[in-house]
Amino acid sequence: MNVDFSLLIPEFILAGAGFLVLLVDLLVPKAQEHRRNVVTAATAVLGLAVTGIVAIATQIDTGERLYDGLLFIDRYALLFKVLFAGIGIAVIVMSVDYVADKMRHPGEYYALIVFAVLGATLMAESGELLTAFISIELLSFSLYVLVGLSRGDARTAEASAKYILLGAISTAIMLYGISQLFGALGTTRFTEMGPLLTGAGGWNLTLITGFVMFVAGLGFKLSMVPFHMWAPDVYEGAPTPITALIATLSKAAAIALLLRFLAEAGSGSVNEWRMPLAVLAAATMIIGSLSALPQTNIKRLLAYSSIAQIGFILVGIVPNTVIGANAVLLHVIGYAFTNLAAFTVVVVIELKLGKESVADFAGLSKRAPVLAMIMTGALFSLAGLPIFAGFLTKFYLFTSAVDKSLEWLVVIAVATSVISLYYYIRVIREMYITETEDGSKLPVPLLLAGLAWVMFAGTIAVGTYPQPFVDATNAAATVLTPWIGL
Amino acid sequence: MSLELVDFQILAAALFCLGLYGVLARRSAVMVLMAVELMLNAVNINLIAFSAFRPVSSMITGQVIVIFVITVAAAEVGLALAVIMRLYRRRGTVNVDEIDLMKG
Repeated sequence: MNVDFSLLIPEFILAGAGFLVLLVDLLVPKAQEHRRNVVTAATAVLGLAVTGIVAIATQIDTGERLYDGLLFIDRYALLFKVLFAGIGIAVIVMSVDYVADKMRHPGEYYALIVFAVLGATLMAESGELLTAFISIELLSFSLYVLVGLSRGDARTAEASAKYILLGAISTAIMLYGISQLFGALGTTRFTEMGPLLTGAGGWNLTLITGFVMFVAGLGFKLSMVPFHMWAPDVYEGAPTPITALIATLSKAAAIALLLRFLAEAGSGSVNEWRMPLAVLAAATMIIGSLSALPQTNIKRLLAYSSIAQIGFILVGIVPNTVIGANAVLLHVIGYAFTNLAAFTVVVVIELKLGKESVADFAGLSKRAPVLAMIMTGALFSLAGLPIFAGFLTKFYLFTSAVDKSLEWLVVIAVATSVISLYYYIRVIREMYITETEDGSKLPVPLLLAGLAWVMFAGTIAVGTYPQPFVDATNAAATVLTPWIGL
Repeated sequence: MSLELVDFQILAAALFCLGLYGVLARRSAVMVLMAVELMLNAVNINLIAFSAFRPVSSMITGQVIVIFVITVAAAEVGLALAVIMRLYRRRGTVNVDEIDLMKG
């Protein structure tokens, strides 16, 4: 059994950073609100940055299994580790002005973000059902609290109550699935489950309920139809940077776990689950896109748009090939850049105008031309227009599905992309065409402007010069080759 | 008559469905939480039964999972009750039908 603790150094740093933020919060005098906010945020960013750098420096060539296959420290986990650290840093930078304006406890806020990143990292590494479950809970518990942490707004209390109640139900369903899988197979390790799950011959009621309920539990975290009902309410009620965290970190972590689980445990029985998952993917895309049409709140609109995006990602998971996995990983990266850019703009609007409906974007092209341009770029990327990340990554996703003759799924995906263009353009029309009485310039905080620029540059980089990203996702997807075909 | 594995499976499934019914039918957030506890206990019965009827080598896994489930469930209830309390202070109700500021 491999118990080389040095492989877990990035996780130790991450956990330590979380507690350090709490400690630093205690050391700065209570009266100095602003200083406490900045110092705790800087500590958290530093911890996340060190984690990412240490992970890249020490684990670029490792392909180890810790504790007899409980945790995989490989290129796949490394990609997500670095991505999650990056998302964590972006969300914290996005939060500094927001926290100063609306929160009372900066220390707890930043520490919980670090713990959420730790949970997400462990999800991408876990190769066993119980480990996966514990990591999911670490991520979810952090998010439950973060959603309800803002003061003043009555919607936050409601959002966090809805989130935790529905989350608890999904946890129970997932656990029942885990117990059934364990009962039917006698093991909880993905790689040992794989051979036992081969072909339809061994499938009995226990196994089917187990498999379906485990995937359903993950589907809740992904906001996959029909488990998507919580997403719009939680997105709207949560503090906006936390909405960005849920949209990127929690979704990407669930994708990481689902992709690994289906590849390592499910590959032998791919013919059994391919069709049901394809139908769910189609339903997710259709319902996500159509429900977004009448939305007037930008956060709700982005919530439905992210549901549709999950449908697109599932299109790449359904084929169960390395090409598909590669496309999924690339899309997750592009999607993270795009969404963080969009949410940064929403945070500025919310801070400066105090509202976040689509109509509040009116005349933004005059009031803050740079923000309007970045928002337009992000929305075009979400819709999948060229030179932005969304076009290229969607192209890869759809190609991988065609390889397995799932043309009908691709037709639905393209059609829903066109529908989604309609509601994205509605926002763009507000920004560029609708006139407003109040034409005064919006002062954009320096930190948020810088973050928006970086995320915008990332969106364009993935779309125009994807080689470095493709190299990284290729190395990560190759880890899955022993189980899945090209 | 001795009890077979399938008897425990049926018991667990029945308890789980009872919990699921409670989740869907109860209007008070606290009662919904208690129904979720019922579902989690069904999971525990399931795991213990599978462990007991399995060969010794994999027995321990099921029992270890149960310990974790109990711990996580306790933490979850603590957190959920705190959130519900906050909701009650703000809105004066814990009825899930009346928590409807956001729609669409």
